[in-house]
Amino acid sequence: MPQSQFILQQGLSKELELFPHISEFGLRKNNTIQLNSFIVSQSDNLQIYFIIDGKFDWIINHQHQVLYPGDTALVLPGQVVGGSKGYLGIGAYFWLHLQVKKIDANGKLIPGEWSNLSSGDCQAIGKILLLNNLPVLKVKEVAGILQEMRMEITSQELGYITRVNHIIDSLLIIIARHSTRQAISRRDFPQTFLKLEQTLRQNLAHQWTVEEMAAMVGLCSTAFTEKVKNYTGFSPLHYLINIRVSEAVKLLKREKVNITDIALETGFYSSQHFSTTFKKLTGHTPGEYRKSNNSYK
Amino acid sequence: MDCIITVEIGTNAVRVMAFDLDGNVIGSAKGSYPTFHIEPDFSEQDPDQIFITTLYVMKNLLTEKIHPRNHKVISICFSASMHSVLPIDKNGVPLGNAITWADNRGKKEAQELKNSPLGAKIYDATGTPIHPMSPLIKITWLNRNDQERFKQTYKFLSIKTYILQQLTKGYLLDYSLASATGLLNISKLCWEEEALNYAGINADKLPELVPVFHSPGKLRREYQQSLGLSEDVNIIIGSSDGCLATLGGGVWDEGKATITVEDSGAVRVVGKEILKDKKQRLFNYLLTDEYFVSGGPTNNGGVVFEWFTNQFGDFKSPYDLEYTMSNLVKEALNVPVGSDGLLFLPYLLGERAPIWNPYARGSYFGINIKHEKGHFVRATLEGILYEIYSIGKTLQEHVNINTLTTNGSFASIPFCTQMLADIFNKPVSIGKNPDSIAQGAFLLSATNMRIYKSLEEAARSVVLSVAYEPQIQNHAVYQKYFSIFERLSSKLNNEFEDLVNLQHEPW
Repeated sequence: MPQSQFILQQGLSKELELFPHISEFGLRKNNTIQLNSFIVSQSDNLQIYFIIDGKFDWIINHQHQVLYPGDTALVLPGQVVGGSKGYLGIGAYFWLHLQVKKIDANGKLIPGEWSNLSSGDCQAIGKILLLNNLPVLKVKEVAGILQEMRMEITSQELGYITRVNHIIDSLLIIIARHSTRQAISRRDFPQTFLKLEQTLRQNLAHQWTVEEMAAMVGLCSTAFTEKVKNYTGFSPLHYLINIRVSEAVKLLKREKVNITDIALETGFYSSQHFSTTFKKLTGHTPGEYRKSNNSYK
Repeated sequence: MDCIITVEIGTNAVRVMAFDLDGNVIGSAKGSYPTFHIEPDFSEQDPDQIFITTLYVMKNLLTEKIHPRNHKVISICFSASMHSVLPIDKNGVPLGNAITWADNRGKKEAQELKNSPLGAKIYDATGTPIHPMSPLIKITWLNRNDQERFKQTYKFLSIKTYILQQLTKGYLLDYSLASATGLLNISKLCWEEEALNYAGINADKLPELVPVFHSPGKLRREYQQSLGLSEDVNIIIGSSDGCLATLGGGVWDEGKATITVEDSGAVRVVGKEILKDKKQRLFNYLLTDEYFVSGGPTNNGGVVFEWFTNQFGDFKSPYDLEYTMSNLVKEALNVPVGSDGLLFLPYLLGERAPIWNPYARGSYFGINIKHEKGHFVRATLEGILYEIYSIGKTLQEHVNINTLTTNGSFASIPFCTQMLADIFNKPVSIGKNPDSIAQGAFLLSATNMRIYKSLEEAARSVVLSVAYEPQIQNHAVYQKYFSIFERLSSKLNNEFEDLVNLQHEPW
């Protein structure tokens, strides 16, 4: 495809003045190997690359990756990226560096005010990108999206600011969708569910919704609920309660943690909520349970 | 109406069923729990999650289907997978996760003991083949490789012991599950000194032994409350999945065997004698002090066909494994018996009976240019069933088998049942209740309540389908291919081992 090179950099290019969240955007055609042109270093923003032509041998997040035309590479804030031999490689690619505010401890992506993504979407997208951790995806739409974005930024027609920001939002959505589709084999639900379960356990304090859990495995809520029921015998929320109580039982027996802390750590709204749920199942309040299994001294 | 509840603590899930006193299923529910593989050979489960899941599923079934109809629960009978080990400390708190039957961490220890004269002696006394599955080997492994946990251990429990201790009190183990530990002398019905010595423990590190009809006592008051049950409910410790599947399959008389194939599989017979196999290929587990359930287990049952389906099936509607599987079976129908000379060794997960080779691996053999996808489907099914047949053949060196019953989701696919009849050249019936383990637990409870005079009578009450009759011309073809299958299975030992070592190499 006959595309010319370009480079836009925050602070240097006037075109980006109204887009403070875009640190760099460009298309590069590289014909020579220059030593030390792409040293592995930590990224402080969200980097998206789309390979148009050639072959690139890179390190992303400590993993060796060979990128071919049609590949989209994703580098999350804090991850490292660079050529595996310190140089770029020969070929052509788009790149976009986005100054997202951060992906916080709960896995929520916080893009900034320019974005129209809802809070729930940011939560889901951030978690998906963080947990799937697939640095290389096959997403053919990305080329067209970036091309359109370039047109909008350079031609500056009516409404272009809104359009560009929309385009970035949809880029993030499309990448997240592909990431879940690629991360899970649609054929193997038990395997997928096991992965999800691990995620739930690691973030038990989080108030998971069915929509969020379904998004993690790339299903709509209805299909997800049906699958989970079929496979585990429980609805997703009941399965979650099951894990919460199981973890709570362990903590009550083993550690001298106060009951409110256990409640919050295992994802109950309050010690009251913890107590009622726990008693319904075990016949004892957490306090009584601890007393009758009084093992830690 | 009075009813009996059965609780089956299985490999991936707990299944709770309710029966009326005539043996009709009036309700069922299940809840799954995960298995953790933190290292390739490890297979562990969280005992507290199993407990909470059990409680949760019982509560759901009782509040949704039993209490609203005013059914009165009079007894609850338990069954569980064999061979699990759960170390607990002096306060009864689990020291880490439970180690399940599928755990292979002790493969070195097992090989060492198996090849020694002591191993042969222990097998003779305990009836459990020397294998990483056996608690004898697992405890030995802990002793040698995890001294800290070993030293802290107050007792080594089975998962069922832990669940029952939580629900009632006391650390108890039925003779059935005990006879699958590799630590019980099955003739004398006491812990086997030499096995204990080998594992490095005393008998007081193990639960107290009780018969399968034993009641561990009343349900704790708090669970009476949460489950809405009265204190008179008779809790029965019950038996193992394998023994109860045999009882529930209606197999009790001479000349009968039962084939169970779910993910894994087994062929079993019941008798009053221990089958002492010189090559240590068969297990002998106790149901009561009078009866032994003998047979051989395979790792490679339905799970292998599931693997095949996942790799090569057409998934038009996402996730629908069963639909895709049944489409594949249809493809196999169009391929002649014997798959036009394509053979499949199903040892994807290593193998137990009869070759007992953890290094064995799968293989398609004899592929030619005319073989199509359908041949591979059929060969896969045939390979899984040849393996079942080779266990049956080993059993027939010791006992006569005239008729077969089958249960479990895989062996009950009509196409597979017919294939079994043809390969064995014997009539095969299917049990009416697809869950023969629960059926067995019901029969045990009902016998305990004197509804049946004896377990024999109970087993005879099981209703079976019309038998699938063998077709002799098919049998002749299968025989020819089986002979090659059998030779291949034992010919490749060195190659299996070399290959597995390469597979384990971190490239």
